[in-house]
Amino acid sequence: MPVLEVDRLVKRYRGGTLANDGITLAVEPGEVYGLLGPNGAGKTTLVRQVLGLLRPTSGGIRLNGRDVVANPGYARQAIGFLPQGQFLMDQVHVDELIHGIAKLRGLPRAEARRATEHWIERLDLGTFRATPLATASGGVRRLAGFACTVVGGSRMLVLDEPTNDIDPVRRALLWGSIAELARDGASVLLVTHNLAEAERVIGRFAIIDHGRIVREGTPAALRTLVSDHLRVEITATGAMTPHAALRADTANPGSYLLDHRDLAAVSAWIQGLREAGSILDFRIAPPTLDDIYAASVGSEAAGSAA
Amino acid sequence: MTTFARQFADMFSLTIRMYREQTWFLSMVNIAFAFGLVLGFGYLVPDISRETALFLTTGAATQMIVTIGLVGLPQGLSQAKAEGRLDYFFTLPIHREAYLLAQVTFVALLSLPAVLFALVLGAWNYGFPLEVSPWLLAAVPLAVLSLAGLGVAMAVVSPHQQLTNALTQLIIFYVLFFAPVLMPREQLPWLLRQAALVLPPTYAADAMRATVTDLPGTHLFRSLAFMAAFSAGSLALASAAARRRG
Repeated sequence: MPVLEVDRLVKRYRGGTLANDGITLAVEPGEVYGLLGPNGAGKTTLVRQVLGLLRPTSGGIRLNGRDVVANPGYARQAIGFLPQGQFLMDQVHVDELIHGIAKLRGLPRAEARRATEHWIERLDLGTFRATPLATASGGVRRLAGFACTVVGGSRMLVLDEPTNDIDPVRRALLWGSIAELARDGASVLLVTHNLAEAERVIGRFAIIDHGRIVREGTPAALRTLVSDHLRVEITATGAMTPHAALRADTANPGSYLLDHRDLAAVSAWIQGLREAGSILDFRIAPPTLDDIYAASVGSEAAGSAA
Repeated sequence: MTTFARQFADMFSLTIRMYREQTWFLSMVNIAFAFGLVLGFGYLVPDISRETALFLTTGAATQMIVTIGLVGLPQGLSQAKAEGRLDYFFTLPIHREAYLLAQVTFVALLSLPAVLFALVLGAWNYGFPLEVSPWLLAAVPLAVLSLAGLGVAMAVVSPHQQLTNALTQLIIFYVLFFAPVLMPREQLPWLLRQAALVLPPTYAADAMRATVTDLPGTHLFRSLAFMAAFSAGSLALASAAARRRG
């Protein structure tokens, strides 16, 4: 049985804006389910309904089989939530905040202390334990927020852009922690724009646009949607007129999409440029989640969401 | 300890730590405000009578209590809302009332030194003795609670932080000049006298006068009863606002 079931969810705000237009999805035990989409697509509205902060106009949300539209208190009991944004908690120190949230999540004092120490060590926050959140870097605030999300041992996690502002080393720690939590059976609803990194932990994902799911599936299955394409990245020494077979990706300068049938011709063209010293570097790669995303919502939206 | 009391204690402890650097500063600002009210209004009235001085002093102390529920609390909550903190704490598995009560208690503790300061300063400056009744210990929390619900509702329901802040300014202005807090009710025009009957600051000011002065014409137990009723309504309003889902 899925841990989280969203069934034909519709949310129309009082002003008339239709933010969610019949969304249906299910998150299985131990699954990391990615939620992608441009700004304003309806992801946050969906998350706020799952958390019981907003009442759906119609449709249902079930958590472990329980109706959380009728009983939003159960969602708060069961879900660990990391909100998007700066996690502004003023002068409270990193370890005080994690410990405080652990206690508010119902852990006895000693257990809350143990769990706090575990996550401080796991996320390499030891040197920042006595840092006030107000003066901590965005990345440390984000990691402290993540620790607060998981410190209570919730089996359902909702993470909104968990890696924003975090340096590459700690980002890897965080993705590793998410993967580990999922292996231990926790289910994760993951809102992210960081497709390249999220691909390593996501089991399935949905792309939301204009309040509807426009694509859903595993990264591998969705990759077949653009499997006849390759991504070509070229770093030129100066101005360069691209090969006629290359289609520019307007969101990523120097990046092009290539039909695989034209690979031989473009390879020969690149070889010529190399020999002439016109390019510094190049890369030809299979399509990424970014390509699927761009194909699903349009390159303009993908660019604004990146 | 009950679950509610434990959650309140944990939330209060976290709140103190969150504002550890501002606490001293905010308390001093409140004391400066009380200083201005007690002495400043005295300058407006030459040859001030003992009765007017008692009204000014107890009114200033009441004004500080009104400020807790209708300024400090809504402004703090609306900032928490704007920064996403309110939503975050509302997603935790705690009684939302425990969160709100922790915020009310914190703001009240920031202002209580100013309440006491206003009374002591007034007594010293205008030369009257304070006759403190133990009922003051009931009057102050009831006065805070009777107003806190409106403060919570203003912050939670208002769509903009600026709107909340503007409303708090308007309320303070009204209580200062159009309510029987700094002046006797009889000095107000008929319409404001009638409005005063249904506004909690009227009873907070009356209870304050009854518990620290020998001013005649106060009705301590009637005021306490009204404030208890307002507090019940206020808590229901705060609870409804906290449970509201858009």
